[in-house]
Amino acid sequence: MEELAQPILNGILLGGLYAIVAIGMSTMFGIVKLVNLAHGDLMILASFLCLSFMTWLGVSPLLSLFVVVPIMYFVGFFVQGYLINRVLGKEMEPPLLVAFGISIILQNLLLLIFTPDARTLETSLAIKTIPIADFLNIPVIYLIDFLLGLGSISALYFFFQRTYMGRAIRAASDDETAAQLMGVNTRNIYAKAMGIAMMTAAMAGVLIGMTFTFYPHTGPQYLIIAFGVVVIGGLGSMKGALAGGLILAIAQLLGAHFFGPGFQLFCGYVVLLVVLALRPQGIFGTI
Amino acid sequence: MGGTLQKTRWYILGLLVLVLSTVPLWGTEYVLLFCLLFCLYLAFSQMWNLLTGYSGLLALGQQSFIGISGYTVAVMCNYYAVNAWLAVLLGGIISVLLALFMSLFIFRMRGVYFGIGTWIFAETLMLWFSNWEYTKYGVGLFIKPPTPPSMTELYYAAFIVGVGSVVLVYLILRSKLGLGLMAMRDDDAVSETMGVEVFRSKLYCFLVAAFVTGIAAGVIYHFQVFIQPYRAFAIDWTVKLVFIVIIGGIGTIEGPILGAFIYILLSQTLSEYISLSMLILGVIAIIVILTAPKGIMGSLQEKMGFEILSPRRR
Repeated sequence: MEELAQPILNGILLGGLYAIVAIGMSTMFGIVKLVNLAHGDLMILASFLCLSFMTWLGVSPLLSLFVVVPIMYFVGFFVQGYLINRVLGKEMEPPLLVAFGISIILQNLLLLIFTPDARTLETSLAIKTIPIADFLNIPVIYLIDFLLGLGSISALYFFFQRTYMGRAIRAASDDETAAQLMGVNTRNIYAKAMGIAMMTAAMAGVLIGMTFTFYPHTGPQYLIIAFGVVVIGGLGSMKGALAGGLILAIAQLLGAHFFGPGFQLFCGYVVLLVVLALRPQGIFGTI
Repeated sequence: MGGTLQKTRWYILGLLVLVLSTVPLWGTEYVLLFCLLFCLYLAFSQMWNLLTGYSGLLALGQQSFIGISGYTVAVMCNYYAVNAWLAVLLGGIISVLLALFMSLFIFRMRGVYFGIGTWIFAETLMLWFSNWEYTKYGVGLFIKPPTPPSMTELYYAAFIVGVGSVVLVYLILRSKLGLGLMAMRDDDAVSETMGVEVFRSKLYCFLVAAFVTGIAAGVIYHFQVFIQPYRAFAIDWTVKLVFIVIIGGIGTIEGPILGAFIYILLSQTLSEYISLSMLILGVIAIIVILTAPKGIMGSLQEKMGFEILSPRRR
């Protein structure tokens, strides 16, 4: 039992990171019914932006969030406002395919600019641990991921429940026509919502970059993780995203513990496929 | 539509097939390579079009069939000294079996869920093969058939697969199955009440697409000679197919022909800058979706009533 404590603890902490990876995609699915296939790549774009600021200005990754997060807001606003909004309609495929195109463009653009080398956002935190028992350590970087992830999700929850903008976004998603009649410019609202989703993606991208290595082609891997979290937790639910993140991360780390590190992602995908087959609406979701 | 135009269509098609069938006689090595890749990508994209454009199954996991068939060919040729072409056929059959197994899971999903479900399946296979000692982990295998096929043999195999895929899709669409498929793409629920067997029709399409994709993959891997899980099961395959079909025109038979031509032209011209050609392809695809959602051929059909191969009965 003692040897299982470490993977489970790491799984819980990693779950917080997965939740912040997924929350932006989940939000956009809830509001615009858009599956943003470029979510992972936009996240990795934030990681590379952070890397650039680190090398140019010599700031720490967490400090660079003050620049990266606003930039990503405008990236999201542009993507939704000028590209995806133009193909929003009855059918789901055109927006999806535009996002797919953006994903491929971003991957290859990053590849041209940054070469295919493995990158990481280096900090001294990456190797520190806090011992809490002789068989148990808390990796500091995982703890930071968990706390910042949880913090961002709480802030997002507060934003949607308490602010005028948040209510307007929810109104536009509940009934577009009624919201328009109430004087809400829904297309503009969607663009702002994407901007906010990309702010969470910026946070996720920087945390991922601090925790793991990343390449220009890493995006799709996190897209699938995000999708997994959303599927397991149920769409549009923030508590679901947190629960989904925990389940997926614990499944992965237990898989790595029992079958070897090569099977970490594999076990996550198998859990995901089983959930998809048995409960397509997610464990916590209702259709 | 007049009789002359009707005749012209068949002249255009006949000429295209004639040119393609005689390439080894007159073409340079480059032209032969070009046409070989064109035929194979035509088959891949025609199958993706059958699934997404005609049956409404958003498939993002065609690389599962490409990879599994490629590995079947490699394993059969290397470990069991099976004849090169028999191995290709076995690759197609294994693809169909995989599709049957996949359908247990993913046919409960709809729309985007179906798409991501198929994609996750491919990623799972990629991880499985890269952790499997039998197939030399992520290092990959060189495909060594007992008698390696010559370039001309490979070309004619590709030619048959490419032209065959077009004929097959045409025949399917002209059949009762095809009529049902298009009805359920347009409205699932209504077509079901009208007596279309939605589940069975979709499954048939999925299996046909898996088979043809598998066969084409077997040929392409005989040509490439080397297989590796990170390439074989990569989403890049489907990305190319999506772009080919979107640019050419989704839900048209001619679309993938034009799209595959544009893709091969672009990727061969910029063969030393793969990421640049994908970048350009992505930009073209987005422009096409924004300005002409039905693709180049789809828009032509709408504006000029110009159709080379129409699944409609006149």
